[in-house]
Amino acid sequence: MTNVSDKSIIQARNVEKVYPNGCHALKQVSLDINRGEVVVIIGPSGSGKSTFLRTLNQLETISDGTIHIDDISLTDRKTNINKVREEVGMVFQSFNLFPHKTALGNVALSPIKVKKKTRDVAETEGRELLKKVGLAERMNNYPSHLSGGQQQRVAIARALAMHPKIMLFDEPTSALDPEMVGEVLDVMKSLAGDGMTMVVVTHEMGFAREVADRVVFMEEGELVFEESPDRFFESDNPRLQRFLGQVL
Amino acid sequence: MEKHPHLLLWKAVFVLIIIGLGFGVYASSKSIDYTWRWERIPQYILSTEPLEIRSPFDGTVTVDETNKLVTVESDFGDEPLVIKGFDTLLINDGDLVFEGDPLVETKHWNIGPLTWGLIMTLQLSVVSLIFAVIIGLFTGLARISSNPALRYLSVTYIELIRGTPLLVQIFIFYFFIGTVLDLDRFTAGVAALSVFTGAYIAEIVRSGIQSIHPGQMEAARSLGMNYVQAMVNVILPQAFKRTLPPMAGQFINLIKDSSLVSVISITDLTKAGREVVSSTFAPFEVWFAVALMYLILTGALSWAIQRLEKRLSASD
Repeated sequence: MTNVSDKSIIQARNVEKVYPNGCHALKQVSLDINRGEVVVIIGPSGSGKSTFLRTLNQLETISDGTIHIDDISLTDRKTNINKVREEVGMVFQSFNLFPHKTALGNVALSPIKVKKKTRDVAETEGRELLKKVGLAERMNNYPSHLSGGQQQRVAIARALAMHPKIMLFDEPTSALDPEMVGEVLDVMKSLAGDGMTMVVVTHEMGFAREVADRVVFMEEGELVFEESPDRFFESDNPRLQRFLGQVL
Repeated sequence: MEKHPHLLLWKAVFVLIIIGLGFGVYASSKSIDYTWRWERIPQYILSTEPLEIRSPFDGTVTVDETNKLVTVESDFGDEPLVIKGFDTLLINDGDLVFEGDPLVETKHWNIGPLTWGLIMTLQLSVVSLIFAVIIGLFTGLARISSNPALRYLSVTYIELIRGTPLLVQIFIFYFFIGTVLDLDRFTAGVAALSVFTGAYIAEIVRSGIQSIHPGQMEAARSLGMNYVQAMVNVILPQAFKRTLPPMAGQFINLIKDSSLVSVISITDLTKAGREVVSSTFAPFEVWFAVALMYLILTGALSWAIQRLEKRLSASD
């Protein structure tokens, strides 16, 4: 750990991922992300952007390279990955709320079981978080009685309940009906405004333009291009141009 | 479900068919040369028998006006005897009684052999069920473990048990394992039943866990839970709900399979039935009664599980 800058909270170096079936998902991906920075990753499907995001909390193991989260190596066998995951919240495309728990139950579960908080404390904090994402009225609803947008906001509150230093978003709005995208993006914007370090895989170019500090373009497992949003969307990189031409 | 037209008509058809079947059974029972003696059966389920209470000493009897309370004053200054709650009075107020004289009679309920058999079947089933669930849960988890040793062990166990008849397993447990480990009949029976049922429950548990979307495990792990915490708090509660219907079937099977342990001389409901047949010479009645008693057990169980399913469906 010679060149760990004191600013970067995520350090990925030459990350390789080869699946057992031979599929080469990540090729020499390196990315540093600073504390408080919002990084948006875009790219065509199958480009490895979700895979890369999932390596950051070791839901995917990597084949080669190193990843450091807050100076802790994820590839070190001595690292307790559960401790790292407490610091790295994740929001999924398909919400993955626990269907047998109410909204509040979802938010309070991990603080109770992992952080060993009392039910009272965890639920008080949980209510605060659900209020913050605009779901004060829906705390006792089961996920099946919530709309997609509401479910995704519960999922964000659930991740925040562990007081993470980093939030990973894996296409958080892709499974939503169009009219619900806005409410989720609003929550993410306010989170960015609070100074949370965020890595967001998304197809929402508007969000990237407006909120991101940096936009990263991935294609075929390679990190092709990274730039600040204003310069990113003006770039004449041919691969990026081709992709933007397809989605915009 | 779409509402069927002529609902009432088809319900009537159902009732008619049942009545027709009932009449058919009745008619065929008349056509054979068999004298039905249903009156012989109840005493093997529950019977009453008078029980006398006798005076422990010489003394004088007082009976209160309501005929509900008898007091015997001892001639030798012993503590007076007070009797309440009896059925028949055998003495009168003011009578002098000697030690050993009958005073009152109470009806004493006697549990018949069929009921004892039912209790034994219930005990066998409940104890086996608890062990079967424990065995099944851990085998099911081992079955999907990433550790090859655990996986192969559980597959071997499941295949061995599912591939051999329960009756043979009961004999092996009683005669071989029972001899080696010095097990009594009941323990051997419970062991055979729980090992047998455990193999089936393991497969139900495995399919239940695998039916839960992998995203649930990922979400739980991404929140910092370890594998065990995620299993216990997230996966198993959902799998439990989903596996209730096949579990109910398996539990009912267990109750019925327990009838096979009668071959190692455990007096369960089936063996009790056989014994009662030999003393009443009324095999038809006895077996119908035994079938009904099994139905009561299995019916109660499936009712209870349906209630549980309804309660758990709150989150749907």
